[in-house]
Amino acid sequence: MSVDAAVVHARGLRKAYGAIVAVDGVDFTVGRGECFGFLGPNGAGKTTTMKMIYGLAQVGEGRLEVLGLDVARHRREVKARLGVVPQDDNLDRDLTVGENLLVHAGYFGLSGADARARRDELLEFAGLAARGRSDVRELSGGMRQRLLIARALVNRPELIVLDEPTTGLDPAARRGVWNVLAGLRAQGVTFLLTTHYMEEAARLCDRLVIMDRGRIVDAGAPGELTVRHEQPDLEGVFLHLTGHGLGAQA
Amino acid sequence: MTLPSVRDALRVWRRNARVFSHVWKGALLPLFLDPLFYLVSLGFGLGTYLASVNGIPYKEFIAPGLCASAVMWAASFETTWNTFYRMAESRQYDAILATPVEPEDLVLGELLWAATRALVYGTVFMLVVCALGLVSSWWVIALPPFLMLGGACFAACGLAYTSLIPKMDYYTFYFTLFVTPMFVFGGIFYPYDRLPDWAQAAAWLTPLYHLVNIARDLATGPEAAAVAANAAWLLAVTVVLFFAVPARAMRRRLVA
Repeated sequence: MSVDAAVVHARGLRKAYGAIVAVDGVDFTVGRGECFGFLGPNGAGKTTTMKMIYGLAQVGEGRLEVLGLDVARHRREVKARLGVVPQDDNLDRDLTVGENLLVHAGYFGLSGADARARRDELLEFAGLAARGRSDVRELSGGMRQRLLIARALVNRPELIVLDEPTTGLDPAARRGVWNVLAGLRAQGVTFLLTTHYMEEAARLCDRLVIMDRGRIVDAGAPGELTVRHEQPDLEGVFLHLTGHGLGAQA
Repeated sequence: MTLPSVRDALRVWRRNARVFSHVWKGALLPLFLDPLFYLVSLGFGLGTYLASVNGIPYKEFIAPGLCASAVMWAASFETTWNTFYRMAESRQYDAILATPVEPEDLVLGELLWAATRALVYGTVFMLVVCALGLVSSWWVIALPPFLMLGGACFAACGLAYTSLIPKMDYYTFYFTLFVTPMFVFGGIFYPYDRLPDWAQAAAWLTPLYHLVNIARDLATGPEAAAVAANAAWLLAVTVVLFFAVPARAMRRRLVA
């Protein structure tokens, strides 16, 4: 794929916090309409990579282009076109479910009737139409996660970054989130997704990279990876590549 | 240094205004009762024994200063506990910074909001003081914009402190060593004219002293030059402090 058509393009991307190297020189290119995964244990550098993409961490070294723009120089422009589902729930507990969407739309400059229409559309999409006036603290874990995803869509983003979207959810809630994501995929939205669940990676991602200790150890489609490493599943691939399971801390 | 976008700052302001519109009844009362108790206790209690200060009845002497203190407490609470909660507990700042809003816009929005909230508290108290007949000059109606300016100055102080501390426990120091001393030494309860020069010089360094002087000047008949000088002090300190500390420190803290 050509670099121009890439939604995200990273070359030699590195990030250190003091002596701790979180991301140690990674290269990857995400094409339009792809669901691209980052698979790895906690501490592999997935979240730091995501944060550099959506502006919550400065690029350390190397080059990072998002939607054709250098994020180090065009943070505002890049952020205006992204949707972010963070790893930790940061819904606004002082606002209702509907207001969370409305206020978030406000940060993107959407207000008045447009914002209210978008709110109603997204509540419907997330299966929360009946909960618009609820306190966010009353929602179940699965509902909160669906609201976080809906919130990430207020600005009709060209790229959605999801940092461990189903961590901590029970299997039913996880399937609920997967269904929501499948609906978006059908619309041709580009995804960037981190996970430490093999099943999630295999199910959702067109292509993925396996990260360990700040580096990318292999990349490809889930089926390609299992064939290349002669393993029955991604779990086997991961073990084969890193010598340790996903539960291990890097 | 990145200049803040006022447009984006107002988006943050609107979020806070919306939350306040839900909670104002419960939130307004305690912070408003506080200066009222001081007014009753000192103005009507102590004031019975103290006839006048500089020719002004004691109640009328302290009433404008208590408007200023209402502003100080409101802006200080907003930019300490409330701001820290949004930043570190509910992680609102992480959510906001993933939108086009940048750290400088966020800090400016918080400052403008705290100043607005302080304006509400100070003005409500001013109206009570007027209703009690403790104001002798119509110039008092010009006071609210200065209350907002004073609120912005206290907000800049609170945000500077908030941007630097690692945890909420540190606010004890802020209130014990900064806010409370301003309240008791800021010129609300006695004039500085006959105190030693060093005492007045120390008071001059605090925002409250300037806001108290403005409020008293306008409530008792203005001296335009003095009001302008005090307002200039508040504006200069607000602007310099904003750019020197919270605007920078918040970026370092939130976008590492």
